[in-house]
Amino acid sequence: MTTDALYAPARSHVAPRNRARGKAGIRWNTAAGHVVMVVLSIICLFPVYWMIVSSFRPANAIFETTLWPSAASLDNYVHALKAIPIGTMLLNTFLVSAIVTVVQLFTGLLAAYAFARWRFPFDKAIYTLIALTWLVPFQVVMIPNYRLVADLGLLDSLAALILPHFAGALAVLMLAQAMRSFPTEVIEAARMDGAKSWRILWEVMAPNLRGTIASLAILLFISTWNEYFWPLLLSRTPESSVVQIGIQMFITSEGTAWGPLMAASTLASLPILLIYVVLQRQVIQSFMKSGIR
Amino acid sequence: MARLTLSGLKKVYNGKQVLHGIDAEISDGQFVVIVGPSGCGKSTLLRMIAGLENITEGEIALDGRRLNGLDPADRGCAMVFQNYALCPHMTVRQNIAYPLKISGVAKEEQNRRVADVAAILDLSQYLDRRPAQLSGGQRQRVAMGRAIIREPGVFLFDEPLSNLDAKLRVSMRIEIKRLHKRLGATSIFVTHDQVEAMTMADVLIVMNGGVVEQIGSPVEIYDEPSSTFVAGFMGAPAMNLMPSTVRRGRTVLDAAPEAALQLPFAQLVDGQALTLGIRPEDIVASHDPGSDGLLAIVELVEELGGNRVAYCSLAEQQLAVVLPKSFNVANGGVLYLTFPENALHGFDATSGKRLAKAAIEQLRLVPA
Repeated sequence: MTTDALYAPARSHVAPRNRARGKAGIRWNTAAGHVVMVVLSIICLFPVYWMIVSSFRPANAIFETTLWPSAASLDNYVHALKAIPIGTMLLNTFLVSAIVTVVQLFTGLLAAYAFARWRFPFDKAIYTLIALTWLVPFQVVMIPNYRLVADLGLLDSLAALILPHFAGALAVLMLAQAMRSFPTEVIEAARMDGAKSWRILWEVMAPNLRGTIASLAILLFISTWNEYFWPLLLSRTPESSVVQIGIQMFITSEGTAWGPLMAASTLASLPILLIYVVLQRQVIQSFMKSGIR
Repeated sequence: MARLTLSGLKKVYNGKQVLHGIDAEISDGQFVVIVGPSGCGKSTLLRMIAGLENITEGEIALDGRRLNGLDPADRGCAMVFQNYALCPHMTVRQNIAYPLKISGVAKEEQNRRVADVAAILDLSQYLDRRPAQLSGGQRQRVAMGRAIIREPGVFLFDEPLSNLDAKLRVSMRIEIKRLHKRLGATSIFVTHDQVEAMTMADVLIVMNGGVVEQIGSPVEIYDEPSSTFVAGFMGAPAMNLMPSTVRRGRTVLDAAPEAALQLPFAQLVDGQALTLGIRPEDIVASHDPGSDGLLAIVELVEELGGNRVAYCSLAEQQLAVVLPKSFNVANGGVLYLTFPENALHGFDATSGKRLAKAAIEQLRLVPA
């Protein structure tokens, strides 16, 4: 009773103050969260910003540390365009990325349909093996793939960049998962109507998996666009190579031409940046769906 | 013509037998309802007829043509699914026309037939909408349109009304029956709802545990259930089933040994256990202690508007009694119940099978 009497008044004073602090606390938490996110965003975006800004700095001011170039110029772009066939390389990169995306979606849809809809001997084992290939690092299959491509006489060709990517575990796994959750009754109704597997896949399932297919297409396109090591192994001439290799050409034994390198990098990044800007929501969703990053 | 014959149909799933030899003959133009509790195998049977499930043993024949192993589309059957099974990305028109598109029917012919079907189902104004823009009832009508347009020999309905609300269910029920009258096609309708079963069927097939319990018209099944299962499953409230024993030529209710039913037939022997059944609406209730009835305590009264159901206990025996609205009864009250002889059903206590009607109708309630 004594303690009650002692604490009662204090409690009544403290309560409203706590409530006030509670509201303020939430505001502070939100603010702190925003500050952290802003800092993280700056850390992520700054290299991109620095690349773009540096691409406009003249050669003599390339190591300037000002946030904005003291004298902006397009010299680096002119130099980059002259030094390497950047237009051809960008077109090559686009072709490789687009073909890989389309073909891998196609093979992925076929394989995923088989795994999701059919029961056949060793189906689960084969599915698991395909899933496991995703865990095998590129460095492990690099040499066998190289030998294969070399034996086919495809070195220094775009076909060699595309061929090993005709099928991929990610596409099969993502699409099979989506197809497994597709309502069986809709498929059975189509079967009753006389549709066979080919029709069911393309006329019934695929149109309803647009979300997953779009997410996957974005992922495949971006990852193929950004690929560096495999083209580096195969390419011999700039004309049959991709833009990532073109960028690397500015790093020579005599030194690095930072200005043109930044200009070429900016050009190489533009299509991907454009995809991010236009399809921002889908890109984020596709990363979330596939569990990447 | 579409006469369907099911003979000795068995189905085994992963080593577990779910259908134990189904035999049935479905005549041309009949509306057959397969009814039974969840897991009794009714949907599996329908899917086997449709070709969506393999047949482990037995045969399905349509007009003498064996259907076993045929592709679903080649069986001359169309199916309406519980969840409508419409393609979400297609319009109503495209959904209905899809079977025709697959079979390569010319576009003009498709449009003409879609228009006809839409007119029958009152869907003409929704042809360019997608399923998501339709109500449940409209979606189900589209699903029916997709089945009708194929002009199949047999319509299969897999619980098509169970996703609809009560009011819509009643109107769709009537609509389906009307459609059946108009098209005259053999129809098999699967449901677990006994009201649907009773109201829609020309012939009812009652299933339980993978076997057919009884085949007959709704009235036959209601009036002469072949087993305690059918007696308990069909009818709401369910038939009262009372364990009884034969003692000195009389049937004695185990719950009320003070009263006995005279049993003048030969096939029952002293000490034999049997189950007596009586429909709740057939029990005669009275407030009069001198009415020769058995005393029962009212435990709960359910008001149904038009009449009321009194749930009573006759010693250990629970009984449901349907009473007219004018009959006053309160919880905890007392009723004197008599069981008219011609309303009593007798079942073997062990097998649950119905005892011959001739034997039962001579039962008489006499003081012990």
